[in-house]
Amino acid sequence: MSRQLGALAAAHLHDRRRSVWAWGIPLGLMSAFIVAIFPSVETSISKAVQGYPQGLKEAFGIGELSNVEQYLHAEMLSLIVPLALGYLAVRAVASGLTGAAETGRLDVVLSAPVSRTRLVAAGFLATAAELALVLLVTGILTALGSLLSGAGLAAGPAVEGFANVWPLALLFAGLGIVAAGFSLRTSVVTGSVAGVLVAMYVLDLVGRLDPDLSGVRYLSVFKYYGNAIEEGIDPLAFAGVTTAACLLAALGAWLFERRDLAA
Amino acid sequence: MIETEALTKRYGGHRGIEDVTFSVRPGEVFGFLGPNGAGKTTTIRTLLDLIHPTAGSARLFGLDSRRDSVAIRARLGNLPGDFGFGRETPGREALQLLARVRGVDGTARAEELAARFRADLDRPLGQLSRGNRQKIGLILATFHRPELLILDEPTGGLDPLMQEEFLALVAEERDRGCAVFLSSHELDEVQRVCDRVGIVRGGRLIAVERMADLLGKARRRFTVELADPDGAERLRSLPGVEDLAADGSRVSFSAGGDLDAVVRELAGHHVVDLEATHPSLEEVFLGYYDEGEEER
Repeated sequence: MSRQLGALAAAHLHDRRRSVWAWGIPLGLMSAFIVAIFPSVETSISKAVQGYPQGLKEAFGIGELSNVEQYLHAEMLSLIVPLALGYLAVRAVASGLTGAAETGRLDVVLSAPVSRTRLVAAGFLATAAELALVLLVTGILTALGSLLSGAGLAAGPAVEGFANVWPLALLFAGLGIVAAGFSLRTSVVTGSVAGVLVAMYVLDLVGRLDPDLSGVRYLSVFKYYGNAIEEGIDPLAFAGVTTAACLLAALGAWLFERRDLAA
Repeated sequence: MIETEALTKRYGGHRGIEDVTFSVRPGEVFGFLGPNGAGKTTTIRTLLDLIHPTAGSARLFGLDSRRDSVAIRARLGNLPGDFGFGRETPGREALQLLARVRGVDGTARAEELAARFRADLDRPLGQLSRGNRQKIGLILATFHRPELLILDEPTGGLDPLMQEEFLALVAEERDRGCAVFLSSHELDEVQRVCDRVGIVRGGRLIAVERMADLLGKARRRFTVELADPDGAERLRSLPGVEDLAADGSRVSFSAGGDLDAVVRELAGHHVVDLEATHPSLEEVFLGYYDEGEEER
């Protein structure tokens, strides 16, 4: 049973191998660039930030930008990396379900003694691994950028900052599986979940900007994302979001098991 | 091997299949014949639990097609109508994955089949023609020596030589005790390899016949060139002969049922040329509809 799950997950990851580089390298180079330019822009950035409205700083989690970790969070980890990885997660998980249905692969695999639940589980596990690998590539390139520029990025906080993106992105993989329980069209699944991803980000932003609307932040996973590069990973939030992602995947598997896989 | 009972699938208000009841015995090649859109693929997808029936039931190997789907699929091989596995995946990768999930050690049988069908397992499927992809699909469906083979329009895109090889493979599978469920819209293909045939149209199974009976009922078209033009008139009076037209020494007519009298009559003439044309699928269907009308 576990051999079959492993084989399916390995095949999924193998099919997605290019995506690790296609997403990890651009994100890593961008992060490396941000880190590398910090020493030369440090003074001017600090002055500029002092002039920002307080609400804006709170909304985007911008505190003092007096060190490279704060700058990396403000420029990459508060917006670009989580949104990119969230979108990658739904694309990755959809490729093994709706993408496989579109290419005919699903019919062939499900002609073998493979349960749909196991197929979904394999796709979810492979996506979790793919996200971790993309974050690893991004993190390594960022560290190289720091090393070459002498920016002095602290390894521990940087690892926590990148690792904290993983459960958030995985949650969107879970949502992608739920969406595949309703539609076998990749464009519908990726489009709808990408919409939820952006909506959640906006809800969190609105909640931060207007204290009267702070309650809407509970509808967004970004509320539990925090600022791990400066404050460390919140173990409860990390475990909670990971659990929510797994529960969504389980719900998606249940829906997928019951739906018709029409030609 | 397969037993369906009033198997029905509706898609909202749209028809899929309606009250389809048939059985396939061990070691039998069962043809499932019908035009495109008749419900052949819907029936197959229901048997494989890819879609769930609206009503009725299907049992394969005595197991319920829904509840025991995984156990059923361990014992069968399936070739979808338009086989695909991803454009960039070579056949060998697909084969290795299926061997692992099926728990099959070694792929020697698959290599044998690849050599026999001259299939390229190392090129990405997206670079192969439909016929060459279909060969890979056939290998994936048969390499584990299943007890039941389900083939949906299997020869689409295959060249005539490979079609022959395919029909030989089906016969070999039957000889080793494998049941074959072969869906097709080609009467010739079904006729050459099937023991029995189910005819499906408009989502309904309108007949299940032994192949010989089906062909006996179907009218064939004959064109004969006789050295003696007077022979045409005697042919006209034979039982089962219709639509006879004579153009000099060339006579054409249709005949159904027992052809013995026609053959005997022709044997009394000097036959210069003889051509017999099998009926098209539509003509077979028309035969059934005419029969139904008469019964009413």
